[in-house]
Amino acid sequence: MVEKDELKKIFFLKDLPDTTLGKVGAIAQLETFDEESILFRQDQEQTLLYMLVSGKVFLNCRSASGKSLTLDEVSAGRTFGVSALMGESSGTFTAICAETSSIITVSGKQMRRLFEEDFEIGYALMLKVVELFKSRMEMHTRQFLHSLANHPEIKQFQ
Amino acid sequence: MVKIEDLKRINLLKDFPNYLLEIIAKEAQLSIFGTDTQLFEADEDVHIFYMLIMGQVALTVKLTSDIDVILDYVQSGSSFCSSALIKGVKAPYSAVCQEPCEVITLSGKSMIPLFKENHELAYHMMFGVAKQYKKHLDTRAQMIMKTLDEHPEFKEDINDIENLTLVI
Repeated sequence: MVEKDELKKIFFLKDLPDTTLGKVGAIAQLETFDEESILFRQDQEQTLLYMLVSGKVFLNCRSASGKSLTLDEVSAGRTFGVSALMGESSGTFTAICAETSSIITVSGKQMRRLFEEDFEIGYALMLKVVELFKSRMEMHTRQFLHSLANHPEIKQFQ
Repeated sequence: MVKIEDLKRINLLKDFPNYLLEIIAKEAQLSIFGTDTQLFEADEDVHIFYMLIMGQVALTVKLTSDIDVILDYVQSGSSFCSSALIKGVKAPYSAVCQEPCEVITLSGKSMIPLFKENHELAYHMMFGVAKQYKKHLDTRAQMIMKTLDEHPEFKEDINDIENLTLVI
């Protein structure tokens, strides 16, 4: 059980009405993880959605040759582990606490069940996910095209 | 109006219950486009969501006045231009048929008001679209990881990699 005031600190949930936050709170847990705790590993089963209340989490990715790279530093208020929300069985990254962190966890399966009990909320939150993913995809495409346009081999055609 | 059997050939819709597919079927249209038909152009206001039954469509962006970059080839069963299902957005790319294409189209102008009436339909559509975006973003992250594995010196030039981690 997590109080509404804690849930309102999370960007993904902050616009939800109190009644919905109450439902999310009922299936959520607030836990404290020590520095270097591994929350989930790349390519392993991932069932929980994580919402960072305080602290910092690194998202790492291991390449085919075994090199590890930190792709993102998650700060308070952000949500990660969306593979669980999408009903996918394994995570794309490894999540490790960079410092002692207070994290709200919710089962992806229970969250989807909540969406299916109240489709209006499910739609509102999924639309938010789509808009965020869409904006990321477009931002990344722009960055890719910018890099490509500045590549010496492309410049010689201009 | 299209047949439910045709809608079931679309990956995004394959797990939809029949009663939702019946609603979509009433709104959908089946069209055939010839090779080189431009379905829409980048930066246009988009109102149509496309689901490809047969054929191949290239999604392109203009890099320079002489160079177009192909971002993706859409194959049978896939869908594109989900922006049309979100209010007031422009096409991020152009779409051109690479061969004769059989396409199911849905008008965003009909679907967005329908989403306000039928939240179950709206939720399932957005869930499917979110999964599609995630798949594309995961693929890009894997491609970048592979490149960085071979050329670690590129890391300093990639300043938006955190955008691919799907933190929301």
